[in-house]
Amino acid sequence: MTWVLQTAIGGLSTGAVYALVAMGFSIVYRTMGLVNFAHADVVMIGAYVTVTFFLGARLPFGLSLLAAILVTGALGVAMERVLRPLESRDLNLMLIGTIGFGIVLESVAILIWGSFGTAVPTPIPNLPLRVGGLVVTTYQLLILAVAAVVTALLFWFLDRTKLGTAMQAVAMDRIAATAMGVDVAASNALAFAIGSGMAAVAGALVGPLLYVSPGMGASIGIKGFAAAILGGFGSIPGAIVGGLVFGLIEAFSSGPLSAYSDLITFVVFALAMSVRQTGIFGERTVDRA
Amino acid sequence: MRVARVGPGAPLLLLALLVLPVFLDLYTAHVAVLILLFVIVAIGLSLVMGFGGQVNLAQAAFFGTGAYASAILTTAYGWNPWLAAPVAVLATCLMALVVGLPALRVQSHYLGIVSLGLAVAVANLLTNAGFTGGASGISKIPPLPFPGVDLTDDYNDYYLVLAVLVVLVALARLIAGTTLGRRLKAMRDDTVAAAASGIEIPYYRLLAFLLGGLFAGVAGVLYAHLVRYVSPDTFGLDTMFLLLAMVIIGGQDSIWGAAVGAALLIAARNLLAGLETYQQLAYGALIVATVVFAPRGLAGLAAAARRRLAWPWPSLPIPVPSRGSAVPAAPDPPTPFPTPASAVALRVEEVSKRFRGLTALSQVSLEVPVGEIHGIIGPNGSGKTTLFNVISGVDRPGGGRVRLHGRDVTGRRAYQMSRLGVARTFQNLRLFHRLTVLENVMVALDRDPARAHLRYLVAPWTVLARERRRRERALGLLAEFRLEEVADEPAASLPYGRQRQVEIARALAGRPSLLLLDEPAAGLNAAEQEELKAVVRRIREAGVTVVVIEHNMGLVMSLCERLTVLAHGRVIASGTPAEVAGDARVIEAYLGREARDREAARP
Repeated sequence: MTWVLQTAIGGLSTGAVYALVAMGFSIVYRTMGLVNFAHADVVMIGAYVTVTFFLGARLPFGLSLLAAILVTGALGVAMERVLRPLESRDLNLMLIGTIGFGIVLESVAILIWGSFGTAVPTPIPNLPLRVGGLVVTTYQLLILAVAAVVTALLFWFLDRTKLGTAMQAVAMDRIAATAMGVDVAASNALAFAIGSGMAAVAGALVGPLLYVSPGMGASIGIKGFAAAILGGFGSIPGAIVGGLVFGLIEAFSSGPLSAYSDLITFVVFALAMSVRQTGIFGERTVDRA
Repeated sequence: MRVARVGPGAPLLLLALLVLPVFLDLYTAHVAVLILLFVIVAIGLSLVMGFGGQVNLAQAAFFGTGAYASAILTTAYGWNPWLAAPVAVLATCLMALVVGLPALRVQSHYLGIVSLGLAVAVANLLTNAGFTGGASGISKIPPLPFPGVDLTDDYNDYYLVLAVLVVLVALARLIAGTTLGRRLKAMRDDTVAAAASGIEIPYYRLLAFLLGGLFAGVAGVLYAHLVRYVSPDTFGLDTMFLLLAMVIIGGQDSIWGAAVGAALLIAARNLLAGLETYQQLAYGALIVATVVFAPRGLAGLAAAARRRLAWPWPSLPIPVPSRGSAVPAAPDPPTPFPTPASAVALRVEEVSKRFRGLTALSQVSLEVPVGEIHGIIGPNGSGKTTLFNVISGVDRPGGGRVRLHGRDVTGRRAYQMSRLGVARTFQNLRLFHRLTVLENVMVALDRDPARAHLRYLVAPWTVLARERRRRERALGLLAEFRLEEVADEPAASLPYGRQRQVEIARALAGRPSLLLLDEPAAGLNAAEQEELKAVVRRIREAGVTVVVIEHNMGLVMSLCERLTVLAHGRVIASGTPAEVAGDARVIEAYLGREARDREAARP
């Protein structure tokens, strides 16, 4: 029993990172109906920029993270701007365009930081805390806390601010939103910026757990996708639940299975899709009919 | 004797490819083999993605499945390579079908994710599993035994792959230019209209994946036995993105484009070794630039340049013997309309349809006798188009029955309704916009069941003969609409009124017994409206029952024999135009209560 709880704690902290990745996918998907295939590589860029400022420039972790959010946010805006002409023409082409951006980002990362990865120390001393019979590390608590704060900010933004409400309006009915004076292009750019900023947070947090390398996007990306779809693509609560589920699955597939985490993710996700295609919370997207 | 004109392009290219090895050293000959193999894989991807419109990010994984399956069967189990090869191709096709299965239900972007997930999962398996040799892969794969020919020699390999490539390119070109390719493209351009033209969408999505798997599987098997070493890196995500770049840059829906893209990128990869990262940067950027500025890739640019330059391609007349007489093949005898088993063409019985909370149709009943022109009118949002969607199988009714010539067809799917003789047009024009006018009509004219595609494998030449007859019939139909001079224009380039005509011609091409026209006069000028009336009457003269939704009252009153009026999803009146026009409920529905009272007060 202790083992189960202990494993679950590890799973939840990884799951929180996947949830952040999934929310980043979802915020763009619910606003424009587009799957951003470059998202996973933005996570990787976020991780690298954080590491560069934190280890290279020796800035405090919080400031390094902020810098990474600004860099990826700008990247998100740039991607949206370049692909904007396709938005009303052909969403499939736009999707392929995001794959192109992903390829570019990976090669740029190799050119700047080299093709081998870096191990990253935790930003705070990683002390084990004993709670009952269980061990929780301070870094796990930090991940959960940061993820919770970011999620709360996202909900606050979407529900309580004028900009956020305008974005929700675009997601519900883009023509009506345009008629009410909402700038759809600006709203899409904002969705890209927010999604990419969240990717940077996910990348910064996951760095010390994994290994920061130009190819890290594929595995994290597919888990983020799977999480977003399992929860119901476009649904923010769905992304959180989906992320935690895949974090737990990964934690419990230990021993000889641990090398196969990508394969297991795919099998679970394919099975879930064949049972309920719209995910746990149902799909949320803009109606393009 | 008929005469076909053959351009010099393909024969010259083949000749160049045949003499090419003379100029190649051992290393470049090896690169040439790789190029030809990737051309095969890329053409497969172009068939799934460019023609079928299905985002497939697992093509490299399919390639790997073929290679690994044959490698494992021959090394671990000692199979003869010639026995292992077909089994490995079959295994790849099965894998492609498994990935394609979600395509039966989900939209294309999900498919992108599912196929990417599979690609990552396969890479994960290949790198870690014992039976795949882990990260170091499988080496010492036996070459293909061939009496008298040493297939460990790169020059001989080149000719073997070239022979296979010629066959596969011929197959791909045949598919691209005839019924199967046209159906795939129609599905890509507009799924709803394709289904309403009789195309069984789920089946064709799977078929697209199967074609991708077939090409990748053949190339994979050849790769395993010619290179004789397989490792996970060759079939990972990097290769997938390279394949995607080949097809996008070359031109998604062009077989030649995919081939040129593959040749360029593989040549660059091998000849600019050491600069991999810059290459990756370049092709990533090229993908973005292509989708934004030249969505049809190099093939599209080449086609545009050729149109502008009007370069006179020399071509050779080649006599083609036609069977029997010198008379051109007679068009198929027109199939008679299904003889009506009852005098009622369409009977809708208490049909209801709800969308979430909204009731779109509630207990709607109507009856249309054979040969009638029946109008359906009603204010906006009264459920007219939903009724058409239910009748044509686009939506399933929540309750009630639909009978066609007395036969219960409730809940049939759109492609089944099309095959039962129901054709329709759409309120917001749904042409296959990247197909030509002629192709639009040919899609609907083509009533072959899906199993007829076996001809591509069994008797490819009969495909061409049938295609020729179909083309003649389509041109005949276009002539009736005076559309023959725009037959080869892309449908989307026509003015609006003509596009409406194309849509009606397309609907008629399937020889329906019941034609549903959804606001056919919208956007037409007075002269065009008169023409429309004449067309609809001619269609009726030919024995087709017509139901038309229309807002233009003048047109409805003079064209229709009987009307059904809908408001808020209910039938509020029906009868002759004169009866309906005087009906108090109709006036109220259109103009409000006051108008009704005023009308009633009039002496």
